[in-house]
Amino acid sequence: MKILIVEDEKGLRENMLTYLSEEKNICESCTNLAAAISKLSLYSYDFVLLDIGLPDGEGFEVLRYLKDEMRTEAVIIISARNSLDDRIKGLNIGADDYLTKPFHLSELKARIVAVFRRKSTNSNNKVIFNEISIDLIERTVTINGTEIILTRKEFDMLLYFVANKGKVIAKTALAEHLWGDEMDMHDNFDFIYSHIKNLRKKILDVTSNDYLKSIYGIGYKFTDR
Amino acid sequence: MKLASHYNKVTIVVTLSVLIVGAVIYYFAINHIARTLLDDHLSEEVSEVIGYVNLKKELPKQVDFDEDQTTFALLKDQHVPTRFYDTLYNNPKLAGTRAGRAVEGTMALNDRLYRFNIIISKESTEYLLQIITTITLVLVLGLFLVLFLTNRYLLGDLWKPFYRILGQLKAFNVSEPVEFNRVESKIDEFAELDDAVYLMAKRVKGDYQNLKHFTDNASHEMLTPLAVITSKLDTFIQDETLRKEQFDQIQDIYSAAGKLSRLNQSLLLLVKIENDLITDTEESELQEVILEKLKQFQELLSSKEITVETALTVKKLKVSKYLIDILLNNLISNAIRHNYSNGHIKIILTGSHLVFENTGSAVTLDSTAIFNRFQKGSGSEGTGLGLAIVRNICKVYGWTIDYKFVDGFHSFEIGWNQTEIPQVLH
Repeated sequence: MKILIVEDEKGLRENMLTYLSEEKNICESCTNLAAAISKLSLYSYDFVLLDIGLPDGEGFEVLRYLKDEMRTEAVIIISARNSLDDRIKGLNIGADDYLTKPFHLSELKARIVAVFRRKSTNSNNKVIFNEISIDLIERTVTINGTEIILTRKEFDMLLYFVANKGKVIAKTALAEHLWGDEMDMHDNFDFIYSHIKNLRKKILDVTSNDYLKSIYGIGYKFTDR
Repeated sequence: MKLASHYNKVTIVVTLSVLIVGAVIYYFAINHIARTLLDDHLSEEVSEVIGYVNLKKELPKQVDFDEDQTTFALLKDQHVPTRFYDTLYNNPKLAGTRAGRAVEGTMALNDRLYRFNIIISKESTEYLLQIITTITLVLVLGLFLVLFLTNRYLLGDLWKPFYRILGQLKAFNVSEPVEFNRVESKIDEFAELDDAVYLMAKRVKGDYQNLKHFTDNASHEMLTPLAVITSKLDTFIQDETLRKEQFDQIQDIYSAAGKLSRLNQSLLLLVKIENDLITDTEESELQEVILEKLKQFQELLSSKEITVETALTVKKLKVSKYLIDILLNNLISNAIRHNYSNGHIKIILTGSHLVFENTGSAVTLDSTAIFNRFQKGSGSEGTGLGLAIVRNICKVYGWTIDYKFVDGFHSFEIGWNQTEIPQVLH
């Protein structure tokens, strides 16, 4: 996947770049509107991660450019402004998702996977990890051809893990993803444990591979290594 | 009392007293002049009589001429001093007694002393006095009426600019974008007042806008560094060579960053609510929303083994879905957070109110302070803005919110007592 990151804040840009750069991903970055448009005019990407507040203008310009040129890049807006107006405006001009700062990199990754699958052709709306196959449309999971029944939370959790495979995911990030930060879970992670326990048990019922690892007190990692 | 009626009262009292005093003085002055004239006339008569007597050496015959009555009487030695006086006399030509002016005195004739007495009619001067009094009275009444009408209508008109400025001041709302309408006035004072008020309103609005932008910008500017912190941490924890203690430290930083971010969002939300920036409204059935919310909080409730009792009736509200969501979130998470394990929550919804009751600490909270910003219990992990947000949402829709502590239950009651949603000020 080729990803273009348009973000003027150096610290954030570099971390997004590192986190998203994996074996199959090629990431490039730029810091302003002009550079973004010139890059987009020269190359084509699968994904654009777009900050709205750029030093030389609003990121909406990039969206308009892509729309005018009938480009197919998927766009996720990253903005410090959590206003409904901006969100609607962005989605209307053709953005595929809207992420408010601050966000966890694992959340960004999960959104990218979700948007990418949604935009792909019908045959390709499955997220596959080894023997695990997740159907995003049907919201079903099959392992080695056997369907396992997951609750909504467990399904979302598994998808989140698979999207961030091989990465350590902070439990804060996981809690925010599953319950939203409005619910203000105030560092009570007890309820996450029970969901994790159930999910792991359901997976281990049909496969012998335990992919889900607990990382000290900080979070979890879904990996086959 | 209005200034105009005050002014009216004062002018009328002053005018009235000046006129009364003036009329009294006027009456006495005219009276005095008239009397002097009559007395002059009488003196002339006296000199005529004395002249006649000295010339003819006899008393004039008692003939009445010009309505004057002259009488003589022989005196026995006593001397009568000359004096003028008011009297009543019978005029033979006319019936009844008349008011008259008289003079009496002594005169000598042929070594004898006579008392003479001359009376003349006062009728014409009295008539004159009556006419003058009448005219004066009519004038006073006329003046009075004119003054009253001027004060009432002309002065009322004069004050119109003032009331227009006052009306605008009353309707002034710092957060509204409505411009202040200038009030034209030829009166310097009002023009000056209008200038001052206009400038003040402009300045206040400017300051307010600046402050609003500042809060807005400050909060937004804080979000990017927060995003940097979060993303650095997310990258940092990928290093699995870190020790458990280091992960614990990182977890604490995560918590602090998360709290800061929530705090920031709550502040931004408060600003938005206070400025009426959330205007979407739709009809929703509150009992449905509450049940849905409880489902969302199910894990949290069961992790603390809290039992929830609900008594919900159908209640339709026309509100912002977003705000009602936040309101319920805050109330429910408070009821859970400040509860103990195996505690209880009661939710009662009727046509007139919504009550959230929860068990918790045995201490009554300060019912006025808890709704203030950054007011929180010592053990609370929240932002301290939850109830402030709840109160502000209630204020937007004109609802009441009260706190009580009854039978071990902390109770928050929202009353929809208003008949209609009052003001979405626009």
